[in-house]
This record gives sequence, structure tokens and C-alpha cells, in this order.
Amino acid sequence: MRISRRDLLKGAAVAGATTALAGTASAREAVEPRPQAVGMLFDATLCVGCRACQSACKRANKLPVDLETGETGGQYDAPRDLNSSTKNVIKAVEAANGPTYMKQQCMHCVDPSCVSVCMMGALHKEGEGKKKLPGERAGSGIVVYDKNTCVGCRYCQIGCAFNVPKFEWFDAFPLIVKCELCRHRADPKQEGLLSIANPACCEVCPREAVVYGRREELLAEAKRRIAASPARYQQHVYGEKEGGGTQVLYLAPAGVSFTQLGLPELPDRSQASFSESVSHAPYLHGVTPVALYLGMAALIARNRKREEAAEHREEGK
Amino acid sequence: MSAHDHPKAIGGSLLDRSMLVLLALFGVAAVVMAYRFFAGVGPVSNMTDGFTWGIWEPVNVVVFTGIGAGAYSVGLLCYLLNKGQYHGLVRPAVLVGAIAYTLGGSSIMIALGRYWNSYLLPWIPWWNLSSALLEVAICVIVYVTVLWIEVLPSILDGAAASRSPRWAAIGKTWGPRLAKAMPYIIALAILLPTMHQSSLGGLMLIAGPKIHPLWHTALLPTLFLVSCLSMGFGAVVALVTILNLTWNAKHDPKLFADMSKVNAGMLLFYVVLRVADVVWSGKLRFLALDFPTLLFVAELALFLAPALMFLSPRVQRNKGRMFGAALLAVAAGAAYRVDAYLTMYRPAGWTADGKPIAAGWNYWPSLGETIVTVGMAAVGVALFIFVSRKFPVVVVEDVRDEHTHVGSGPAKAAASR
Repeated sequence: MRISRRDLLKGAAVAGATTALAGTASAREAVEPRPQAVGMLFDATLCVGCRACQSACKRANKLPVDLETGETGGQYDAPRDLNSSTKNVIKAVEAANGPTYMKQQCMHCVDPSCVSVCMMGALHKEGEGKKKLPGERAGSGIVVYDKNTCVGCRYCQIGCAFNVPKFEWFDAFPLIVKCELCRHRADPKQEGLLSIANPACCEVCPREAVVYGRREELLAEAKRRIAASPARYQQHVYGEKEGGGTQVLYLAPAGVSFTQLGLPELPDRSQASFSESVSHAPYLHGVTPVALYLGMAALIARNRKREEAAEHREEGK
Repeated sequence: MSAHDHPKAIGGSLLDRSMLVLLALFGVAAVVMAYRFFAGVGPVSNMTDGFTWGIWEPVNVVVFTGIGAGAYSVGLLCYLLNKGQYHGLVRPAVLVGAIAYTLGGSSIMIALGRYWNSYLLPWIPWWNLSSALLEVAICVIVYVTVLWIEVLPSILDGAAASRSPRWAAIGKTWGPRLAKAMPYIIALAILLPTMHQSSLGGLMLIAGPKIHPLWHTALLPTLFLVSCLSMGFGAVVALVTILNLTWNAKHDPKLFADMSKVNAGMLLFYVVLRVADVVWSGKLRFLALDFPTLLFVAELALFLAPALMFLSPRVQRNKGRMFGAALLAVAAGAAYRVDAYLTMYRPAGWTADGKPIAAGWNYWPSLGETIVTVGMAAVGVALFIFVSRKFPVVVVEDVRDEHTHVGSGPAKAAASR
């Protein structure tokens, strides 16, 4: 028995149908910013690069220093980038009218890739995970980390367009490290925002270049600043729409682009929404695998029965 | 090849020179792996926060399981399309699959930072169904089990023919019982790879901005599924050719020619999909005289070459040329997979015109990573040799049998599939 052209065509048709099914992926609902979501607004026109936020972050999160020894023997806590002992970093960008400073930490995306890909929800939006950490309340939109359900697969690092989650490479029992908006510094006795989180960086910033608040209010404030001094700013709030929106928002000075600051150009649709739509479509809510299994089992059993019958006939001769 | 061909245990010395070399390679790898558990992943690898998966995920998991997909490819032909003539290929293909997937899974345990938490993975309430990796993990855990169950008939056949009465009894009782359940296991063995091989492509959907536009597409799952079939068919032809040269395994040129025509279809289907996708999604503008374009063209050529070879009667008649084409088919899928996962991955992404954006990370596999990958492959080959020496996996060419067709051997009992 040879494989006929018809068999091949049948195979191609099935494969084609599968492809078409994947192509007509019904889009997964876009995630809207939670009304009570909190975040930060960083105004690059105000930052003077003092790095007070950097050291405050290390103190608040009990992170070790990144010791660097200078040529004359002086030692500095000088992290070059976010890393497993640095959840917040200030970088400098050389621009026409002097340096501009850029603050980098977790963006607390509205629809985060890391949350979409995390196998058991170790990274999850506060209060919306599969498992709740002590004191978690839904609504803040803070992306928190539960080390007890993390297997260290590092898929979050692949997914994050901002390269925020970091891994302890030189540790036998490593953790994923990233900004959790100082949720652990929240004071439950307080009313309002400080009962949710209390980012140390915002607390110490001497110029209020970075401020903590409700995302909605921060967005309004950002737009107000742009409107009040249009010559001072880029006419755009980074994070309002980028990658489905982020809860940390950025203002850049006129003449310095967001990509210069190190923020990637992203489509408005979150990568999580794209990836989940494409991946889930062929499953039809789990109907496809069950139907396929039953169909194939029946077919294989029938094939086998026929074959056995044929063999008996042959042996009978 | 008729249904009356029966696999035989090859026998012979278990610890010959090649076996010692393979085990030595694995021994070195085992030292590196052990060290990793004391010192962390960093000291043995060049992985960084930018290139966080190094080669272990793209090669040990994605390429190894692509080679192991021979079990899936042959299973589809043999059981679903009911081409009984391929029965003789099932056992070796399934054994390779079981070994490749086991090694893929073990490699992941080395790569996982917090491996001790992975015992929680079967706990359904914590499953994040949006995670392609979760789907792959669960599917692979189940599929490894299914594959070893599929290997069991060989083991039970071996037991049934054993001189020890106790083993013989076990083989004779459980062989037929397992044979009855087999259709339901085989259906699972076809469903699971369909799911996780496409999810292996789906894994990279989330990394949109980081993967070159010529590689990042909504068709990633489909392309991975098709490429696992072409790799699987290629791997089976290559494997049986090697077995024919070393152990005089039955090599039926006509059967291989037929199967490889199916593979040619797969390879061409991949090329058509890939090119059509690039054209339709308006990505032709990324073609230029640069490395990504060169790689893209080289990949397509790697898929086209074995397809055309498989279709040529001159190649079909020649064992050596068929072997070459089969290796090319495996290489094509492997290249595509490594490119999509690693070569065309840039942590800071690509500019709108397809140039990599500079970031502080560079990657080339470390000696330690390479040793682990090579050691894992070596122990896989060693396992294959061990099992086929001890148990009836490979159908051996029998000259007397060839002409008379009397062969209704003792192994006929139990679950001859």
C-alpha cells in the first residue's frame, strides 16, 4: 500500500484547516486599567540624577550594594543596570541641552506579559493570583511575586519587553527580583494610598521627579503638565497606551525621545492579549482536544480491528 | 515490509568501546550538572538576564523533542492513516521519542532556578492556562509517561521470551492486556505532541518585540507543528539507516521512499506557509543584504533541499543519498527552532527596519552548557543502544526470512504492534 496523492491532500487539508482556525483567532478581551490601580509618574525634566531613590530602594528592600572599585581604590554602589540586587536604577542620556536622567524599575503593566506567562502565577496582579499572599487586596494592579510558586523558569524574562525581572544567577537557591512598588512598606493603619503601598523612591525624591499615586490621577497630572508647558515636554505620556498601558508613566523633555530614554516602541495591543488570542483559539475552550482524542481513539481502535480480522483470514489460508 | 516482521533484541556486549565513550561524555556532563546545584546556573553557563535560556531550552528541549517527534510522525502514519507497513518503524521511533523527551525534561530540571518547586506543577488549581510553557510542561510530563508505556510492549515481549519463568509469566499476562488498551494510549500519544509541539512555537508569541519580524508571526505554532513532523520523519529514516549499517536492521527502500514523499510534502508545506506569511503580512520590506535575510534564505533552502531530494527517484534509490536528505530534514527543523528561540532573539528588540537594538548582553554558549547538551545527547544514544540490545525494538534483516516468509517467530506472542 502506498501513500497516495489523495492521502497527502487530506493531510494538507487538515493542516490548512488548523491554520485557518488559528488565523481567525477571536481576540481575547483587552484588559482595561483597574480604576483603583496605583503607580508612579516619572518626569524626566525634573530628575537631577542624585540617585537618592536608588539607595532608598536598596535600603527599603534590603538589597546588597553593587560594589565597584574605582581606579584610586574608592568603592561605589554603582549598579550599571537593573540586576538581582537592584530593583531601581537611574541612567543618564546625553542630550543637546545637557544630560537627561531616566529612572527604570518595574512598569507594573496593565496587562503584563510576565503575569500572562507565569506557569503557576508566582508573578501576579495583587489579589488576582491563583494563590494569595498575606494581606493581598485586589485592585491595586501591583505585580507581586510569590517565591513559593516560582520554579525559576525565567519565562517572565523572555516575555517582559522592558527586561525588568532579574534572576539570581550566582545563587544555588535563586529568586526572581523586581520592584513590587514597596507593597511591604504599606501601612494598614493609614487611610488611602499609603495603605496600599509606599514606594521608597517616591518618598525620598527631593524634586518630586517621581511621585506615587492612582494611575488615573497621575495620567491626568501628566497631561496637565504637558498642557501647561508644551515647550518643555514631548507631547506624549509614555505608558498611557504602550503595550496595553503601564501603571508607571513617563514624561520626557522636548528633544529627547522615549526610545533614547530606553523605553521600547510598543504597539497599543498588549503582547499578552496577542499571544493568548493566537494560542487559545484552536482549543475552542477545550472542545478540540477532547473531540480529537475521542475521534482518534475510535479510528485507531477500528483500524486495529480490521487489521486483526485481515490477519486471521491470512493465517486461515 | 509485512506485519510478520518481528523485532529482535540485538544482544551483544553492553559495554563496548562506543558505549564507554558515550558514558564518559555523560560523566563529564554529570559533574557540571552537579556543580550547578551547588553554585547556581550562572557559574556553569553564559546565560544572563538578557539571554536567559541559553542553549538548554532551544536545543535540549526544542530540538531534542523535535527529533523525538519521530514517534509522533510514524504514529500518525501507522495508526491514524492506518498504514500498517510502517509497524516495523514504530518501536525504534517510540524509543527515540521516549528518550529524547525524557532528556528534554531532565535538562529543564537542571535549567530551572527553583526546581524544587516544580513538584507543585501537577496541582491544577494553580495552573495558569494562559502560559504556553505550563501547557508544554504538563503535556511533556504526561507524554513522557505515555511514551514509556508505548515502549513497554518491547519490554514485555522481551520478558515473555525470557528464560526466567516469573518474567515470562509477567510478559505473557501483561503483554496482551496492554495490547488491548493500546489504541487509547496511542490516541493520547498523537494528541499530546499536536498540542505541545505547536505550543513550543506559541511560547515565543509573547516575545513579540524581541524576535525579528521575519520569525515572529501568529503562525509560529503551525510552523513548529509542521517542522516537528518533518524532523521526526527525517530522524526515523536517519536512525534506521544507521541501525541498518551497524546492526543490519531491516531497511526497506520503497517504504522509506514512500514515507519521505510525505516528508517532502511537510517540508514544502512549511516553505509555502513561511513565504506566504511573510508576503501577506507585508514583511517583504525586511529583506535586505543583511544577516537576518541571509539566515531566512538559508533556512528556506535547508527545507527545500531535502524536499526536492526526497522527490527525486535517483535519491530514492540510493541509501546514502536518502540518509543525507533525512539528515538535512532534521537540520532544517533544528535550525528554524534555534533561530526562532535564540539566533533572532534580542533582549532590547529590533528597530522598525529590522536592525538589532544594542543592549549590554551578548551570548555564546559556555563550555559548561555545551558539555551538558552533548552529555545529554550521549546518554540518549547510550540508552537507545542499551534498550535495543536487551529488548526487541529493532527489526533485523533476516536473509532466510526474506524469500520464504515463514517467519512467525516466538516473539509473535504478546503485544506485537
